[in-house]
Parts: sequence; structure tokens; C-alpha cells
Amino acid sequence: MAREEEQTYPTITVKLFASSREIIGKDKITLKLSEKMTALDLRRMILEQFPQVARKIQFVIAINRKIADDATTLDQMDEVAILPPVSGG
Amino acid sequence: MISITSEPIDLCQILVETKDGSSGGTTLFVGSVRDHNEKERIFQIHYEAYKEMAEQNLAEIENEVRTRWDIKRFVAVHRTGSLKVGDISVAVAVSAEHRKEAFEACKYGVDAIKMRAPIWKKEVSVSGGGWVEGFPLDSE
Repeated sequence: MAREEEQTYPTITVKLFASSREIIGKDKITLKLSEKMTALDLRRMILEQFPQVARKIQFVIAINRKIADDATTLDQMDEVAILPPVSGG
Repeated sequence: MISITSEPIDLCQILVETKDGSSGGTTLFVGSVRDHNEKERIFQIHYEAYKEMAEQNLAEIENEVRTRWDIKRFVAVHRTGSLKVGDISVAVAVSAEHRKEAFEACKYGVDAIKMRAPIWKKEVSVSGGGWVEGFPLDSE
């Protein structure tokens, strides 16, 4: 039954890294994808569903391995990720 | 050569990669795990990367370097996983006809990797440690 339910609407998988992965407690999350959804809509959805992220970190959204601006629209096949401030080196 | 790897960084191999008969100098920057931060003693650093994007990012940085300086070879390697004090976390090497280009291009490469590559470090310290407050990314 659960499987049927999952297939009733399109979803998008979001990869999580570093502090965002630890705060949410998963390395990816699946969110409902609405029509003409933008990166800004996605950000709002993440902040609403995971308010603990908003309290602790700033992040940007990457779509297909590029940092997305707010107006970028999402497609179900896109590779999406949350990127906290970076600290390599 | 561009790489994000969980394997130890081999500096000899990096210098082999930068060899070019027409270059007169090579600069090599090696970043390693320091045993302290501003506040306390550090035992270990755990590095995590968004590997596919980070490798793409390093390739973009190489392109930028090549448009700014006339260089021969560019090598950038970043390690992931748990590293001990003294372990090498990053290496950037540039060969060029003259040292000025090699030094400047190498510095640009290291700075760009630190500020832009999707790589994160978590320190393990006396008090427990945590993710290092880094550089927020911007869309271009």
C-alpha cells in the first residue's frame, strides 16, 4: 500500500552533506515535487519540514552540480543537493 | 590531473604529473592536518566531499587558472575520510615556463578550492569538535 501511495505524486531526492546530513540524520531526503517548483520553493519546503536546519546553518541548493539561483525550476530527473558553507583545504 | 580521493595523497606522483619539458619551474602546495585550531588541540579531521561536484569544480578552477596564466600542467588532489595530524589533505601543483606564473597560479588554485569546492571538514578535539564554520557558497 505504501508503495502505491509513493507513486501518486512526483518526488525529488535531495542529497545532504556534512552538517545538514548530521542535523537531519539522513544522507538524502525525498520531497514532493510540485509543478514549476523553483529552488526557492524547495528551500522553503526544507526549512518548513526541517526547522532545525534553519536554526543551525546557512545553505545553498545545487542542481545538477551547479549552485542554483532562486528562480531555477526543478525537474524530477535533476540531481539536487544541500550545500552548507564549505571548509575544504 | 584533478581528483577527490579517499586514498593517501602521493606527492611523488603529483610531481611526475606536473613534469613538462618546456616548463622551468614547478610549485607544490601541500595542506596537512594541524594539531590545533584557535581554541584547542585537534586530534583528527574528517573530510567529506560531494565528490562529483567537487571534481567538476576543480576542473573549472583549472580552466580559470589557464585563462589567467600561461602554465603547462595543473594538478589538484583533495583527500576525504578521517585524517590524523600531519596527514596530507590537499595538494596543488603547477608547472610553468617561469616561477611567477607557477607561484601565482598555484595560490589561486588553493584559494579557490578552499572557498568554492563542496568539501567540508569536521574536527575531532579535546572538547569533542564539530564541523568547521566555512565559506558560504554563492550562485554566479
